[in-house]
Amino acid sequence: MSRDTYIQLESVTKKYTRGGEDLVVLDQLDLTIPEGDYAALMGPSGSGKTTILNLVGGLDVPNSGRVTVAETEVSGIAQRQLPAWRARHVGFVFQSFNLLPVLTAHENVMLPLQLTPLSAAERKKQADFALEIVGLSDRAGHRPSQLSGGQEQRVAIARAIATDPDVIIADEPTGDLDRNSADEILELLDRLNDELGKTILMVTHDPAAAANARRILKLDKGNLVSDEANDRSRKQSQGEA
Amino acid sequence: MIAAASSLKGRRKLSFPLRLAFRHIFANKTRNGLTILAITIAVFLLCFLLAVVRGIDAGVRSASSTRLVTQSAVSLFVSLPMSYRPKIDAQDGVAIASEFQWFGGYYQDPSNFFPQFAVNKDRFVDMYVNDFEIIEGPNGITGPGAREAVKKAFATEKRAAIIGIGLRDEEKYDFKIGDTVPIIPAIYQRADGGAWEFVVVGVFRPLKARIPDRIMYFRSDYLNDSIEVGEAFGEVSAGVYYVNIDNSNQSEVIATEIDQEFLNGPQRTQTVTEAAFASFFVSAIGNLPLFLGTVGGAVLFSIFFSVVNAMLIAGRQRLNEAGILQSLGFPPITSTFLLIFEGLAVALIGGAFGLALAIGTQDLVVLNFGDSIRNYEIDPGLMGLAIGTSAVLGITAGLCAGIPFLRYRPTEALRSIG
Ligand SMILES: Nc1ncnc2c1ncn2[C@@H]1O[C@H](COP(=O)(O)OP(=O)(O)O)[C@@H](O)[C@H]1O
Ligand SMILES: [Mg+2]
Repeated sequence: MSRDTYIQLESVTKKYTRGGEDLVVLDQLDLTIPEGDYAALMGPSGSGKTTILNLVGGLDVPNSGRVTVAETEVSGIAQRQLPAWRARHVGFVFQSFNLLPVLTAHENVMLPLQLTPLSAAERKKQADFALEIVGLSDRAGHRPSQLSGGQEQRVAIARAIATDPDVIIADEPTGDLDRNSADEILELLDRLNDELGKTILMVTHDPAAAANARRILKLDKGNLVSDEANDRSRKQSQGEA
Repeated sequence: MIAAASSLKGRRKLSFPLRLAFRHIFANKTRNGLTILAITIAVFLLCFLLAVVRGIDAGVRSASSTRLVTQSAVSLFVSLPMSYRPKIDAQDGVAIASEFQWFGGYYQDPSNFFPQFAVNKDRFVDMYVNDFEIIEGPNGITGPGAREAVKKAFATEKRAAIIGIGLRDEEKYDFKIGDTVPIIPAIYQRADGGAWEFVVVGVFRPLKARIPDRIMYFRSDYLNDSIEVGEAFGEVSAGVYYVNIDNSNQSEVIATEIDQEFLNGPQRTQTVTEAAFASFFVSAIGNLPLFLGTVGGAVLFSIFFSVVNAMLIAGRQRLNEAGILQSLGFPPITSTFLLIFEGLAVALIGGAFGLALAIGTQDLVVLNFGDSIRNYEIDPGLMGLAIGTSAVLGITAGLCAGIPFLRYRPTEALRSIG
């Protein structure tokens, strides 16, 4: 597999059965994302965006077709092994942050590190570092309820990168945030892509968010209707204007 | 950044999930506080009721196997004649027999009740040689010689009484050797309308759980002679007979022979082992152990459901967390484990409080109800049972709430965000 096919969906079909009726969400979908790419996935509600993220992240399995991430066929991993694979390769960022409210920011970031063979000192160091990257070292001891929405999402991003996964999967990460906080998050994702080389797959409704990505994929009723490289300089010049 | 984890060895680390479980317990102080309170009460009641039942059982079990009790075949409340004793004594295999007549008086106030029995002046001390240890006799005699001295004094002083150690040591009685103790009659009224007077000649410590330490034995001839000369009212009678036999294997045979002897009256008898007699007493008060056991079981049963319910509520609130943990790479069983641990911790905290309450109130119970609740003790077996029951309760409740998490797919769990 080349650097050009880091994430690959081949003829992927996903159906849900609801009330005895089959609902085909993805119908023989093909999709390729190269290593180090930053792709924005757009499309109307219910078009199957979250379903794609779930398949790539190994949270769900397709009915047919292959899902490959970093040379591993995710759709072929046994159900029991999937959590372990997720722990090593994927970091999730959700629209509603999904921090555990009873844990502090630092403890939330520590969570995925519990699954690594690192020593306690190394885990702490790594969590500290992740919080530093998102600029929240000074809020390490705060509970999510003591943080703003933007800060919560930054903690969630720190948690997603704490174990140094290859892929960041973000499902409408700015959907619950005001413009300023959203911009902070987008800037952070930019840096993860630019500086740390993370491959990012982000679902978004927000054109400003999509403008940050290197590529924009448009989905409609389970079909890829457009796949275009994005001219990021345009966004930058807009920003400077 | 840093190298990725190379293998999943996360299961070796339990400390973090445990911390998470404790955070949840503290995050729901009201619900968990109420659950803990319910378990505290249930475990306390369980300990209390079982200690009562065990006390009763201990009494029955400590009954002598070489002793029979001969009672009226009609009813326990019908007394046997005094004339029966020589005939019982004459039976083959009988070692020694004594009448036991219930007196039923009280000291100063009816609330100061303790049992008094009228017994045979020449036989009683020898008959109870294995049942109690005489620890103090006339003129302050203690030690091995006390028994003989007390036996002699009991045979000599007509108003003599032998008392359990509780009547000597407890402040509200404080009976000492040589004291004259007035006992107000409930059955055997005196012609002068006053109290009966007894002179304390011996103090004993019970060696058997069945014998209370607040009890008094006095001479049956004092009672009967007083009635005969008109100083007191009542019926001259023996009550029941306690019969020591030589060989416990012979109890059936001897019991049958005694009952045969009196088949033609004046009163037919029913002779049973002391154990059977003791358990009859227990069943006479309405099968208390079964009743108490049922109450305890019912309490535990209802508490069990309230604990399960509390855990199910916790489980529903934990669905989103389960999805998050799974997305981070934790296996589904992590959430199950968290709920089991939470249930276990809550139940053990409640159980420990309940047990502490039972242990803490033990002396209080003995002090206030010692007369009616015999041999009350929260022993190590009971402690183990209380903690074990709590643990089973908590684990079961946690399992009920946690098992469904094994079936949820992470996407479903994450969708519960709302
Ligand atoms: N677990 C599920 N069971 C049944 N239907 C589902 C499930 N998950 C998603 N769907 C349906 O599949 C379609 C696509 O869902 P989703 O991928 O979440 O869409 P999007 O994220 O683009 O809004 C929707 O119609 C949704 O209702
Ligand atoms: Mg969606």
